[in-house]
Amino acid sequence: MTEAKADRKNLLEVNDLKMYFPVYGGVFRSHVADVKAIDGVSFTLREGETLGLVGESGCGKSTTGKCIINLNRPTDGHILFHTQKDAAAGYKITDVKPKPVDIAKLNNDQMRPYRSEIQMIFQDPYASLNPRMTVSDIIMEPLSIHMPELSKSQMLEKVGWLMEKVGLSAEQATRYPHEFSGGQRQRIGIARALATNPRLVIADEPVSALDVSIQAQVINLMQDLQEEFGLTYIFIAHDLAVVEHISDRIAVMYLGNIVELAEAETLFKTPLHPYTRALMSAIPHPDPNVKKEKRIVLEGDVPSPMKKPSGCGFRTRCPIARNECAIEPPPMLEVEPDHFVACPYYATQDKN
Amino acid sequence: MANELLKVKNLKTYFKTEAGIAKAVDGVDFDILPGEVLGIVGESGSGKSVTSLSIMQLIPNPPGEIVEGNIIFEGTDLLEAYRRKDYDVIRKIRGNKISMIFQEPMTSLNPVFTIGDQVAESLVHHKGMTPKEARDYAVKMLELVGIPSARERIDEYPHQFSGGMRQRVMIAMALSCDPSLLIADEPTTALDVTIQAQILELMLEVKAKTSNAAILLITHDMAVIAETCHRVVVMYCGRIQEIADVKTIFHSPQHPYTQGLLASLPKPGQKVRRLSTIEGMVPSLFNLPKGCSFCTRCSKKHEPCENVPPEMVETAPGHFVRCHLAKPMQSV
Repeated sequence: MTEAKADRKNLLEVNDLKMYFPVYGGVFRSHVADVKAIDGVSFTLREGETLGLVGESGCGKSTTGKCIINLNRPTDGHILFHTQKDAAAGYKITDVKPKPVDIAKLNNDQMRPYRSEIQMIFQDPYASLNPRMTVSDIIMEPLSIHMPELSKSQMLEKVGWLMEKVGLSAEQATRYPHEFSGGQRQRIGIARALATNPRLVIADEPVSALDVSIQAQVINLMQDLQEEFGLTYIFIAHDLAVVEHISDRIAVMYLGNIVELAEAETLFKTPLHPYTRALMSAIPHPDPNVKKEKRIVLEGDVPSPMKKPSGCGFRTRCPIARNECAIEPPPMLEVEPDHFVACPYYATQDKN
Repeated sequence: MANELLKVKNLKTYFKTEAGIAKAVDGVDFDILPGEVLGIVGESGSGKSVTSLSIMQLIPNPPGEIVEGNIIFEGTDLLEAYRRKDYDVIRKIRGNKISMIFQEPMTSLNPVFTIGDQVAESLVHHKGMTPKEARDYAVKMLELVGIPSARERIDEYPHQFSGGMRQRVMIAMALSCDPSLLIADEPTTALDVTIQAQILELMLEVKAKTSNAAILLITHDMAVIAETCHRVVVMYCGRIQEIADVKTIFHSPQHPYTQGLLASLPKPGQKVRRLSTIEGMVPSLFNLPKGCSFCTRCSKKHEPCENVPPEMVETAPGHFVRCHLAKPMQSV
């Protein structure tokens, strides 16, 4: 990360976020257990940066994204968003610095004014666009909700401008989604997310459904738009090579917790948490000449988030687990400036 | 070479649809040597899966049809037998000498039969084992692929297994009859990275421990190819664009498509500011360019590309390229 980015103001602060989904069972459908999708996640997001969230399926990365846009109401914790809109001034953008809002505590109605500032790009470009709406209807929908003061012709003008920004031509606005390829649909999804001039965009696996050659196009587009509009991204993905490429900082999640958080380069050069190290060594490298250091193959599968192990969630598969790990969840340690590891014993690992 | 295990010659598989004929595979030639790991890489719609399904004769007909070509496996022409409607030939080979691992471990196991039943089925059919023998053998296979307490778990159903475990069961099924060719169609695409590493390692390990089957690995992931394959076939729009051994493909690719594909990959540990891209998108199979199918996106397009389909050229021993720019090697 450049120095300039490190100095930036915080845009979002997530504090000890918990999202439990209750499980009902038995004859009386009583509450028998919780799926602990997120179990105490904390991080801060700076303005203009890209934070990558990586982890395997079921680690809670998508749930974290959904909590931030208030699609899931968290069980506990805080999500402080430094909004530019002021409730006192009728949610207009004001010069006075408004107080950060705690998204975790808002209901749908209270959230609505802030939605224009936080938008989302979804994974599956085939499922996230309504097949019965034309492209211009799709991109115009957020405009008509969040900017009702615009006239129809102003909106159409903005739709055309957005489409050109994402590399489509304005003449395609009257077509339907099925007339577009996967990559083009993802561009439509991006145009829709940008329609309300958001400051934070949460991209949940935006390129995993795309072919390799199209993937690079969409990633480049997202980077160009970030530069042009000063966007902040939370980039959720399981493809580590893609996340490393686009992110300034990366948070690695495992079973509902962040296990390591560091700058992208640091994380790839010196991963410290035993899970991150195993994950890094599992990435296949697109070069047959790269001699792999011995691959750390983890035994077994990820435990169910319904029956999380006590203490550290990773201890059942961890090569350096010890008895103490079962007692309480490991604290997040800042081992270097901006490099956090949730493992007190990381230094005991074999350096090779 | 005369000792190849499987030889695919001029394979053409077309799908007849209302919109016209989709030439999903249009003249594919390659061979697989015994014990070799051959990768087929390509984007969606490039015909890589249809090629593998054609070898297994699992193309749904209609709408699909293998219209031309030969598939010679250990000296037997499977397609010739298919045209004579002698389906017994393929029935004896399919699941026995050639077996297949599918992409979706969630949907490719039958949910109403136990794991044991499904692994034992092909043993009873092909190896003539009694159900009791087959069951014992199935336990052995499940242990081989690393299912813990296999003897207890053999009577469980697929939903009681995780994704990685189910893919292990698929591998156990595929390898139980000692095949000489294993076709793996995107075997790790649906799996997480750490599980993917386990499964790829397991495939190569089990291959070494059993009959040293040749593997035809179909994937869109260049990194998986780099780590596992000996030779690589690059497909685009139903045609093979380049064949070479894995080091040549990654270090001196000749076809502009292969070059573009490799350049567009983000490489772990080497941060670049911008990824290079292949402009445009894959043309529709109903509307392929007259000449080279890649000419609409190629950065090196010149005169003949649009009108004349390029021929396969051998630029170095074992390195074939379908491009007008490729220079044939000097004949000695």
